[in-house]
Amino acid sequence: MRKLFITLTVVSLLIVFGVLTFGENQVITIWSWRAQDAPVWQKVQQILNSEGINVTIKFTAFDPTQYDSKVNLALQTGTGPDIVYSRRLPGSQTESLIKTGLYLPLSGKVDFSNFPSSILKSVTYQGTEYGVPFAVQVCGIFYNKSIYTKYDLSVPKTWDQLVENAKILKSHGVTPFFVSGKDGWSLAMQHAMCGVSILGPEWIKELTDGATDFLAPKWVQLNTMLNDLKVYYQPGFLANSTNDQDAAFAFGQAAMVFYGIWGYGTWIQLNPAIANDVGYFMVPPLSTNEKSYAYSYMDGAFSLTSSCKNIPLALKVLQFAATPQFGTIFANITDNIPAVSGVVMPDVPILKQAVETYENDSSPWVYWVGSVFTTGSPDLYNNVLTPGMQSMYANKITPYQFAQMAQQAISQWYKPLQEFIKSYYK
Amino acid sequence: MRRKVKLRYLLIFILPSLVLYSLFVIYPIIGSLFISFYKWPGVGPMTFIGFDNFRSLFVGYFSSQLWNAFYHNIMFFFFTSILELGLGFFIALVIASNIKGGNYFKTIVYIPNMIPMVLVGFLWGLFLNPQIGFINEFLKIIGLGSLVQPWLGSMSLAFPTVIAVNIWRNLGFYVLVLLAAIINVPNELLEAAYIDGASAWNVVWKIIFPLSFATFRTLLLLLFIWSFNVFDIVYALEGAQGGPAGATDVLGTLFYRTAFGGLGSGATGMGLGAAVTVFIFAIIFPVSVIYVYSVEKRSSS
Repeated sequence: MRKLFITLTVVSLLIVFGVLTFGENQVITIWSWRAQDAPVWQKVQQILNSEGINVTIKFTAFDPTQYDSKVNLALQTGTGPDIVYSRRLPGSQTESLIKTGLYLPLSGKVDFSNFPSSILKSVTYQGTEYGVPFAVQVCGIFYNKSIYTKYDLSVPKTWDQLVENAKILKSHGVTPFFVSGKDGWSLAMQHAMCGVSILGPEWIKELTDGATDFLAPKWVQLNTMLNDLKVYYQPGFLANSTNDQDAAFAFGQAAMVFYGIWGYGTWIQLNPAIANDVGYFMVPPLSTNEKSYAYSYMDGAFSLTSSCKNIPLALKVLQFAATPQFGTIFANITDNIPAVSGVVMPDVPILKQAVETYENDSSPWVYWVGSVFTTGSPDLYNNVLTPGMQSMYANKITPYQFAQMAQQAISQWYKPLQEFIKSYYK
Repeated sequence: MRRKVKLRYLLIFILPSLVLYSLFVIYPIIGSLFISFYKWPGVGPMTFIGFDNFRSLFVGYFSSQLWNAFYHNIMFFFFTSILELGLGFFIALVIASNIKGGNYFKTIVYIPNMIPMVLVGFLWGLFLNPQIGFINEFLKIIGLGSLVQPWLGSMSLAFPTVIAVNIWRNLGFYVLVLLAAIINVPNELLEAAYIDGASAWNVVWKIIFPLSFATFRTLLLLLFIWSFNVFDIVYALEGAQGGPAGATDVLGTLFYRTAFGGLGSGATGMGLGAAVTVFIFAIIFPVSVIYVYSVEKRSSS
């Protein structure tokens, strides 16, 4: 009797202990710079729970500009979350975290067969995957279809036609372009998305390989074209932020914006009536003989961290995030394009167009985010394009001086460019 | 014997604050000095590069940005001290003269000081919006439409605008402190001066000003330290780039950019950022010493 009692006590204690620890470790924490994703993870938790996986997902979003330092600090002190939103490769931030073992490899643990190889490039370091990509972004010119119809304009096939459209709009008192000059990064993006069509991927490849440089006539010409376009921006555009731009475009106060597909969600949130009025086209090339390209890139990935306390469970979450089912949830909640293939997209024409553009017209060579030019210091994005575009638009420097700025900055550290300069200018 | 006991108690009382001070002040200062000699992206191994960070900051690629930002810090100090202390003194004089409604004004002028700086930046960002901003609309309504400007987007106006917003926010503080100094001036002195037939101008410049000079000096030193530490108002109004095209860039925003990069896509350089902080420290430290010395002297005299 006594033996039975002891056995029962021990067994029940073990069960209670097991339940307690089981319950305790079923929390997966996720950190992100995207606040809009919170409902996605609620939905994921629901689905995983209904499949019998007992997990509570705790999602926290941080200010995008502080996010990376927060992640760095937390992971180094071992107090980080289980899963973090990680930046694309190549990029010094993610590379350093991989090299120091703070991001754990996912090859063989997550099924990556639903991702195109072009996307996997952005999460692969030395042949190993370190993240589950979640979204791709497509940049280009978004236009207000009603305004275009009203003034009988058609989607431009060349840069000159684009300028012509702007001229007509301006003569009718319509703001042709709304540009957020205060947010320098959006100017850098404008340069980059025009570059893929105007310079062409071939030229950008040459630049990357060290077969040409930033002082080449083509690059200077692109600077000049952008500088000449500013007469069609809203007055005082250097004082406007992307928030102003979103509001102006959503309420039809400007005909066109240089932006990314992620803006669509914000616009329809501000003004649901704009939903069917938003059109998209790639920046047109110089002549009709040339092809237009879209600047598109993988936005980020979910990475498993060394701070993770329950790796098998975190892997289950990541495995789910690599399925088309996740992509469908993600697309329908955020109106973004998921990175995973085989997704049932929401019935929104512009999103479908963006997916098609991404699949068929993405430039294979770029020089903004996701390029080698952002991997050293001073980098092309923060130290050249962002301040340079502002300075050129403010008439502080000429298009040629802007090109010199790029040459000077990148030649500090980029070997192929250094070698080109050595052989070309001797 | 008594002396020894005293020392022990002294140490016990000092210890908590000494620990906190070392942890949160001395350690970070030495730490950033240390990091400034390394190339370090914020995570992973640190590479010793000697004075390379300082070289690229003072004479290399970042030098134009550094001196541009430094110049703005000096200008920031110059204009805020003239306007905040000058205007503050003037308003304090008016309030001290027992003018009707002075007390209400004292409260009103202090209200902006209670609004957090980031919120001030957000509010004024809206007011100064070139299309829908209150300032430009107001100018149009009163018939001054020709003065409408992209205040925060103009190369020549952006920096004065940032200073103006800063003054709007902080003026109340200087008014209150200077008012206290003016009220402290003994009444007998003023009465005697008036009896002797001194003009109001002379009373202000020969009596009130010299007697409140110690307060001026303290405020000036504080303003210097704050001017070289300024970050929040510039960041809130113009972003980390100190735009447009560096027209409002200060050492604080330069540090932010070099240390943390931008939105995770640029290269970060904690070492370079640390070198900027070392530079800021080298400017502020001597002035802080003078400040502490002058406050000490005041309280002992």
